[in-house]
Amino acid sequence: MALPSQSTSLPAKPHRFRREPSEGWLAVMLLAPAALLLCGILLFPMITTLRDSLFVNKLTEPGLGTPFVGFQQYVQMFGDPRFGQALRNTLFFGVLTVVGSFLVGIPMALAAHTPSRLRGLARVALLLPWAMPPVITGLIFAWLFNGQYGVFNDLLVRTGIIQEPLRWLSTPGLAVAAMVITIVWKTSSFVALIVLGGLQGIPRELTEAADVDGATRVQSFFRIILPMLAPSLAVAFIFRSISAVQVFDIPYTFIQQAPAQGLLETLGVYIYRTSIEFLDFGYAATLSVALFAVSLAVTAVYVRFVRGGD
Amino acid sequence: MEDAPPRLTPLERAGRWLGLSALIIGGFFPFIWMVLTSIKTEGELQKFPVQYLPSALNFANYAQVFTEQPFARFFFNSLTVSLLSTVLAIVVAAPAAYALSRLNIRGRGVLLTVVVAFSMFPVVSLLVPLFRLMRGASLLNSYPALILPYAALSLPVAILTLVAFFSSIPRDLEAAAMVDGSTRFGALTRVVLPLSAPGVVTAALLVFVNSWNEFLLALSFNTRLSMRTVSVGVTLYQGEFAFPWPLIAAAVVIATVPIVVLIAVFQKRFVAGLTAGGVKA
Repeated sequence: MALPSQSTSLPAKPHRFRREPSEGWLAVMLLAPAALLLCGILLFPMITTLRDSLFVNKLTEPGLGTPFVGFQQYVQMFGDPRFGQALRNTLFFGVLTVVGSFLVGIPMALAAHTPSRLRGLARVALLLPWAMPPVITGLIFAWLFNGQYGVFNDLLVRTGIIQEPLRWLSTPGLAVAAMVITIVWKTSSFVALIVLGGLQGIPRELTEAADVDGATRVQSFFRIILPMLAPSLAVAFIFRSISAVQVFDIPYTFIQQAPAQGLLETLGVYIYRTSIEFLDFGYAATLSVALFAVSLAVTAVYVRFVRGGD
Repeated sequence: MEDAPPRLTPLERAGRWLGLSALIIGGFFPFIWMVLTSIKTEGELQKFPVQYLPSALNFANYAQVFTEQPFARFFFNSLTVSLLSTVLAIVVAAPAAYALSRLNIRGRGVLLTVVVAFSMFPVVSLLVPLFRLMRGASLLNSYPALILPYAALSLPVAILTLVAFFSSIPRDLEAAAMVDGSTRFGALTRVVLPLSAPGVVTAALLVFVNSWNEFLLALSFNTRLSMRTVSVGVTLYQGEFAFPWPLIAAAVVIATVPIVVLIAVFQKRFVAGLTAGGVKA
């Protein structure tokens, strides 16, 4: 509940009662527009999706009509190997890219936290991947990974690590690696931003005291800084996990260029194709509910964390 | 943050320098590589080992971006949609955030959790029902078809950022204004709003960037060429089998410029705002 501030502000109270609507009404009026927009544009369509998942609705077969089939499409989903593959891909990419974004994001934050004349430039470098449109990120990296003239191939050949350019996007395993690298580049910024916020909240005296006591920087990082970053890391972890489960734009752009489609298809992309390319709205709704369930599972962890933290 | 630099051994100094350069090169390189690609000719691109710098400045690709597709129109559409969804989201989020941070509302914690939950809706799950909603309202191929969902999708993060900011402004300041005879509304406009300007800027940037970058809804709702946005527009240069990279690179650079400018101008305030809001939210 709201914290009582030290000022009991005695004279203010009669004032408020005299000329203003009650606080309850004020709250309702202030919250109503937001509630309307959220319910109209997000909640109502989500409920429609739940309902749609129980009906067959294929635009490609208008003769079928839109009969109620109950949970039949859910049964179909669990027997659908393409769903299984998409779910596995999603979780696989999810784990790799979440872990990767922390391994890259934490050092990024430490570097950007360093006092330096380059701090402004470092901050822009930190924000840029985060702010870059995901579709454009996908296009850029598809070009960097180009099998003939890509700069990554060039660097690897020049340094003698490989002899011949690799066909990144048309070799299944390499296409997967390329996509993971792209998503990690794009999402490390987010982790770095949250960690940077955490770092700025750590009083300098703490590390200085450790310094005086003869702790090495590595020791003070693992013993002092990392534990104090725990809340920030938890927040970053939950939000990263949710966005990882829902990833769409980057796989979508990669699939346009890579024949290794099955390995790159995430749940988000499969839902998109089921609805827009196969025009099977009923089954797309069922798949959407599955994706939402996965997101919700992650959300539940978040809510538990928030409640636990209070 | 002008504290005295801590004493460093040469090794540590080298480590820091290395870390900073890695961050700066890593962040900028892909974008810079697109700029370089965009001023090369197709012939210069098809060389391996790669020719890093173009032999001549060649801006023909930029001209072609605008002649091959109505890219100026895409740009105008994106600008309109992003600005209007930012205005809508802030106008709706600010009162809600004010109520959540200032008024004695029962179940405030639950309401905040609900707001967080709304930020977790997978957009792709909303695609078909939202499409029907927009078709029913005859809004397909119009600005509101994107403005409404963009504002709604960014609303939770805007509310959470603003709640964090409003909560950081001492209540005593408002109380003082009200003692001096100001109404609650007067205290809001004259005391709270000016002080929360950094929070509003942060929230507005978040909404703008989200809207500028959105792809899926723009791809599906506004299918008429004259209603396309830049994020969809950049994908329209690729042929069935051909990728005219210099052309795509030029389009990518043009599409990214507003984002780069915004980030460069607001980086200091934005990082401060995000870190203040992000961790508490």
